[in-house]
Amino acid sequence: MPVTVHLSGHLKAHTNGAVEVSLAGEFVIVGDVLDALWKQHPALRDRVLNEQGEIRQHVNIFAGNDSVKRRQGLATKLTSDEIHIFNAVSGG
Amino acid sequence: MAKSILLLVGTAKGLFILRRGGNGRWSMDGPHFPGLAVYSAFLDQRKGRNVMWAAPASWHFGAELCKSTDMGKTWDQPEKRRIKMPANTKTSLENIWQITAGGDSDSLYVGAAPAALFESHDQGETWKLNSGLWKHPHRKQWTPGFGGLCLHTIVTDPKDKNDIKIAISTGGVYQSADGGETWQVTNKGVSAYFMPDNYPEFGQCVHKIARHPSKRKLFFLQNHHGVYRSRDGARTWEEIENGLPSNFGFGLTVSRSGSAFIVPLQKDAERFTCEGKLRVYRTRDEGETWQPLTKGLPQKNAYEVILRDAVASVGDNIFFGTKNGKLFASMNDGDSWKMIEGSLPEICCVKAYLV
Repeated sequence: MPVTVHLSGHLKAHTNGAVEVSLAGEFVIVGDVLDALWKQHPALRDRVLNEQGEIRQHVNIFAGNDSVKRRQGLATKLTSDEIHIFNAVSGG
Repeated sequence: MAKSILLLVGTAKGLFILRRGGNGRWSMDGPHFPGLAVYSAFLDQRKGRNVMWAAPASWHFGAELCKSTDMGKTWDQPEKRRIKMPANTKTSLENIWQITAGGDSDSLYVGAAPAALFESHDQGETWKLNSGLWKHPHRKQWTPGFGGLCLHTIVTDPKDKNDIKIAISTGGVYQSADGGETWQVTNKGVSAYFMPDNYPEFGQCVHKIARHPSKRKLFFLQNHHGVYRSRDGARTWEEIENGLPSNFGFGLTVSRSGSAFIVPLQKDAERFTCEGKLRVYRTRDEGETWQPLTKGLPQKNAYEVILRDAVASVGDNIFFGTKNGKLFASMNDGDSWKMIEGSLPEICCVKAYLV
């Protein structure tokens, strides 16, 4: 199913200003959606994931209303057509 | 044409660029990378190229190395970051603490957390992790300090490109004589009071080392409690604390005339300027004695912290910034001081250049 990715405004410098990206295709897990997102906006990958391919500590990804960090991470099965990538409420 | 001074001031909330005009007044632009912490910056003036480097770190999205070829007007942010831990290290970049010129005209080095050295030999086009240091048998025993496990100081030698000295908190001083292929530990004489053995081979929390401008083998070292000198190329160290109110501190610089400058803090557990007085200490006799410098600096209710990269010099002009966001300058080798900015964010690094 097609998926819409909603991005934190902090990331729009890497998406030519877009904070919503629609992706067409067949996606099984959250990682599939992100792979498609990186193809469209390659600079997002290094900002959202660390060098080990893990979601950065202070970044949250939600599939629908579920934080994927509390599920199976990038391997979480896709049950929603909306993904949200937010910076966590942290910092000083 | 007379040269002016340019300062790169990295703060917890962005990079500021200050210029001293011919009338002696300072102008400032920034913040560049607003909201991001900038612990390291560098202006590469070799071959007249004037390339600025800075390493903004986002609490959320990580640290990266950015370049400006128009003196800071615009900065690039490459799609693929320049400085990345290779996948086989099974770790990720935490912060970039130092950007330094190599001993030749095209090399650059970056010091990072977790205790990693990166090198480029093509003016920053491509970068690689220095594997000699990464594979050092001591590495697994280095432990992070309050600022993380940071490789925060790199001292290179324009007269010998193979000579590289580094400092790690906590790990101590290491150096290579073969361009980074192999690394030797050189902490002899430096204390690690927080260890059961107070003088271990490694594990010291060295905060900064700096080389004398004309005596290549003369070095100064500010330790986590301890101020030292080396006369043998940073291999062995001797205490030089005569006249200091405390031997705890972070920043250190050596001016063109060979004066060394530090800003002592009360002690490890009380990290602010001694007795509420902001005093820079200077030695003009290679560390035999230290004298307080107070002219123009607040001597009452001044509880400041000066971080390890926040003391800098160019020529005999000395600069330092505080965690309270105050930036001070001395244009006469420390004899007198003037505050040139008073309300910046927490100052992480100060770098000074003649342009």
